[in-house]
Amino acid sequence: MKRIMKKAAPVLLLLAAASLASPALAARNKPWEKIKTPSLGEIRLPDYQRVQLDNGMVLYLAEDHELPMIELSATIRAGQIYEPEGKTGLAALTGEVLRTGGTASWSGDEIDEKMESLGAMVETYVEGYTAGAYLSALTEDADTALAILAEILRSPRFAEDKLDLSKTQHKAGIARRNDEPMSIARREFSRVILGPDHPLARNEEYDTLGAISRQDLVDFHADWFGPDRTYLVVIGDFDAAVMTGKIKAAFAGWPAARRPLPADPAVPDLPRTVNVAPKADLTQSTVILGHKGIRNDDPHYAGIEVANRILGGGFASRLFNEVRSARGLAYSTGSASGTGWRQPGVFVAFAGTKSESTEQAAVVMIEQIEKMTREPVTAEELRVAVDGILNSDVFNYDSKREVLDRMVLFEMNGYPADFLTRYRAEVQGMTAAKVLEACQAVWQPEILSVLAVGNPADFDGDLSRFGAVNTVDITIPEPKLSLEIPAATPESLAAGQKLLDRAAAAVGGRKLADMKGFATKQTLAAEIQGMSLNITMETTIVLPDRLKLIQKLPFGESTQVLDGDKGWVQSPMGVQDIEGPDAAKMRDQINGDMLMLLRDHAGRTCQALPAEELDGKTCERVYITDEQGDYTLMFLDTATGLPVMEQSKGEAPMTGEPVTQKVKYDSYKDFGGVQRPATFTILFDDEVFATGQTTSFTLNPTVAAGFFAKP
Amino acid sequence: MSVIRKTLVLAAVLATALGVVAASAEGYQDIQDQVQEFTLPNGIHFIVLERHDVPVFSFNTFVNTGSAQEVTGITGIAHILEHMAFKGTAEIGTTDAKKEALAMKAEDEAFAALKVERLKGDHADPAKLAALEQAFTDAKDAARAFVVSNEFGQIVENNGGRGMNAGTGTDDTNYMYSLPSNRLELWAYLEGTRMSRPVLREFYTEKDGPVTEERRMRTENSPIGMLIEQFQNLAFMAHPYHHSTIGWMTDLNTITRQDCADFYKTHYVGRNMTVAVVGDIRFDEVKRLAGKYFAGVSAAVPPVIETFDAPQKGERRMVIEDEAQPFYICGYHIGNWAHADAAVYDAIADILGQGRTSRLYERLVKQDKSAVQAFSFAGYPGDKYPTLLAVLGMPAKDVAAEQIEIAVFEEIQKLMDEGVTAEELAGVKRRARANFVRSLEGNMGLAAQLSDYQGKQGDWRRMFTQLEAIDAVTVEDVQRVAREIFVPNNRTVAFIKTVEAAN
Repeated sequence: MKRIMKKAAPVLLLLAAASLASPALAARNKPWEKIKTPSLGEIRLPDYQRVQLDNGMVLYLAEDHELPMIELSATIRAGQIYEPEGKTGLAALTGEVLRTGGTASWSGDEIDEKMESLGAMVETYVEGYTAGAYLSALTEDADTALAILAEILRSPRFAEDKLDLSKTQHKAGIARRNDEPMSIARREFSRVILGPDHPLARNEEYDTLGAISRQDLVDFHADWFGPDRTYLVVIGDFDAAVMTGKIKAAFAGWPAARRPLPADPAVPDLPRTVNVAPKADLTQSTVILGHKGIRNDDPHYAGIEVANRILGGGFASRLFNEVRSARGLAYSTGSASGTGWRQPGVFVAFAGTKSESTEQAAVVMIEQIEKMTREPVTAEELRVAVDGILNSDVFNYDSKREVLDRMVLFEMNGYPADFLTRYRAEVQGMTAAKVLEACQAVWQPEILSVLAVGNPADFDGDLSRFGAVNTVDITIPEPKLSLEIPAATPESLAAGQKLLDRAAAAVGGRKLADMKGFATKQTLAAEIQGMSLNITMETTIVLPDRLKLIQKLPFGESTQVLDGDKGWVQSPMGVQDIEGPDAAKMRDQINGDMLMLLRDHAGRTCQALPAEELDGKTCERVYITDEQGDYTLMFLDTATGLPVMEQSKGEAPMTGEPVTQKVKYDSYKDFGGVQRPATFTILFDDEVFATGQTTSFTLNPTVAAGFFAKP
Repeated sequence: MSVIRKTLVLAAVLATALGVVAASAEGYQDIQDQVQEFTLPNGIHFIVLERHDVPVFSFNTFVNTGSAQEVTGITGIAHILEHMAFKGTAEIGTTDAKKEALAMKAEDEAFAALKVERLKGDHADPAKLAALEQAFTDAKDAARAFVVSNEFGQIVENNGGRGMNAGTGTDDTNYMYSLPSNRLELWAYLEGTRMSRPVLREFYTEKDGPVTEERRMRTENSPIGMLIEQFQNLAFMAHPYHHSTIGWMTDLNTITRQDCADFYKTHYVGRNMTVAVVGDIRFDEVKRLAGKYFAGVSAAVPPVIETFDAPQKGERRMVIEDEAQPFYICGYHIGNWAHADAAVYDAIADILGQGRTSRLYERLVKQDKSAVQAFSFAGYPGDKYPTLLAVLGMPAKDVAAEQIEIAVFEEIQKLMDEGVTAEELAGVKRRARANFVRSLEGNMGLAAQLSDYQGKQGDWRRMFTQLEAIDAVTVEDVQRVAREIFVPNNRTVAFIKTVEAAN
């Protein structure tokens, strides 16, 4: 569909000039109320054009010849919400290296030099729900800048050295993230509200950065960037028809994004939590309260906007007057309505206060919110809030960029073009009863979660009056799971396959290639929480997807079975089914077994790394990765070709915390033509967790009927 | 409302956005032709630029007074006064101005008595101290009973005001917001009366609350903020830039309302004020309303500063030990905005440390990867008086501040030994022109710039003619000035050294 429209509809501002003439309650002289306010002239929407190109890209153009400049901004439906777990930072890195890493025909440094010498700017970013680009140049340089911008969006180079540079900067950011209290508060509060697993609440860590490769950026870009989800706003000193032609040419042939848009991750409904992030050197606290809000098409939107203005939206607000001015409790305070264009926003009340009034600030803020849901606001408060919104409405039209950006926002998120007009009408008809109704429907003081960042030793209370207090550990995790892996080359990948060919031959040759399954019995002596435990493990695998693992511990026995895509577990607590992700985990257990890695390596990405010494032996190293971003680093004895150590991501046995798992293999022994280590050692984060022996190993075992059946 | 502008980081941004302008002023003649101005008998200068696209306007009141005008004992008072300017007048913000004035007098007396006892320190009589504290609290409450809280802000907000803010720096104090254009007379009333007859109500509550907490947030609780303050303390001795704009904590504790009233009376005079109004307004109307509402501002002559430092005779260096990550600053003394080499300072700062192709960025960030940010700018902490060309570096993880200093000094030495290329300097000029054009967008930005150039440099046209000054800079100038300023004796260094938290 292709459509060009020209629009210059006058928008009448119905400003209630007479509304200021309210009768004076006391005998106060208010000269400012006697000042005449002439009616405000008509305001016109700027002349603009909306054009949709054949490739789906939407353009909004407005000519403005006052200054010899052009300004272009692109908004793309590609955000951090699409970032895979374990690779937090990928979206932001893509947004940076898109610009710094160069394009098919320009290196990043060449773009820097060109832009700096022109005094032009081209910048790109990826944020929560969207990505974008911005260009500003003098008219005479517009063509060059546009050509570069188009190449950046279409064919970024993602140069490896610029990715490294960005990673260095992000690592410095991680190291510094606890230096300023506000940054702690912002970060931890989004975890409190969204839950730690929401893509927008996950923390970037040294390890998540380490897991990101250049290919991930290439994929992120190809998956989510495309003309079909790009909106351009172009304003400045140009002829609209000519500019449309230039943009059309610059973006012709840009392929659509590879993946369909999934649904946005939901903003969860969470119960109240009470959280303290301790930082002993602070003399002030940041206190934030909040819960999930609404989308702007909610019927209570206008009511909530008015209510928020009264609660904490400005100088006339209750929080400002109660918390800051009257009680001198806080040096800053306010609230945010919690309305959002795309997803429900977050209703928030906050205060910056001295340590000694931390709890009191929270109490007073909750009281004020409760009052909003209990009693109607006063006529005067309502009048002030409504006048404020209506009188400032003209500023929604005071820059062309703002008007066009808003059109893009409405179009992207499915709001009618006259949304603001309707909103204004609703605000005009607002009553105290409607405000109360909105507050009661949306604000729930009892589920407000609490976060305080500060020094709890100086707090006036431990906040337990709000519920069980969770201490937020803001310690920055040291890197442990990720490895610094150089970029793969065709040579290193071929060499990796060769090394694993040799290892497979050394372990079992033909027998391994024909393997249908195996059964093995191992004994383990483990140290768990200061206790020494002896464990016996019997593993039976029938390929491709059946597994039985019997573990015998001094205090009981457990059996886990995977049979196809589901399974079961029997423990002293009874029998439970295993399905979904847990079943997939067991499947990974089969596929991740050393024998399987060796048998099936041709189908995996296996990169040879430089050889290293390990326990006095020279070892070849192969880095094997799968689609989930999990890796196995295999150390192969240069002399024999046999594996001597496997390194991978693991989980600590009791806490389930991620750890680096290493298994060292020793004393290989022949079990019917297959070499298995007679002894092995398991290390978590380089600490010995267990030593073990292989007592039996049978290739292609025969299993009785019902062997995998649920009891 | 309580922003201290021109903190170091912000100043870097401003240096690009406001400071440097180059190339010819042709093509902007339209704007220059439309600027109109007048001066009231009390000395306030008004600049008016009509732009009738949208029925709104913005203004900026520039007061040629900042923390540089303070002396020991009252540091931080320019910033406190800026906060006080939002507290209203005898008409705005009070239920009964006369009774309130008496209550405030009692409050001042209670504080004076308390201060005497507090100053005794360990020798103070605890019972007497407690009684005086109580009396002061009671007096504060009595005065507050007449206060209509935040009424000034509410009026602005209620009438559709946007962007209400103010900022205090070393050199000046600025007040700004925007309103629908049918509120021009309301604006003239509000701004004229608060500039000519402010009432310093809620003085102690504001000073001991928000102002003191702002200091804690910016300094005590911010390791980089603390470093920057002490860097400034060390680089300037007798010079009025010695103390930071936020003020010494002990001064904040002891300043009185009378100190603040005296400061207002001395410095908030017509000759120190420039008001720029830009937007959908008529010059004649602004002139009429200015005469009506701004006439009450004092016509007194403001004092001038005459105390400055002797030339520095050796490097000054300091360290802050903290558990925070390292940070590096060094600064070299240079002349003020009026110095013959002012445009050359800007060119040097640009080439050395502004943007992705600057020498420090190329060397430290791109090549060595030892820093994640590196920049420099001319005019910290201000440029009304002799000032500094500063260099900042934020080290990468596991890199100490001392490590990046080596590379910073090498790059500076290279600039002195080899100078700059004609291409580099051409880039500076072109960037300056583009940045200048960008800065002309928007009513608020124009009002800020017009009043700043007029107020500080005496003529708003310098905003345009400065283009010529930077265009005239040669590669020889750059090397000459670099050799002159970048000598170790002229240098002050400050950095954060990361140490384990004491348990």
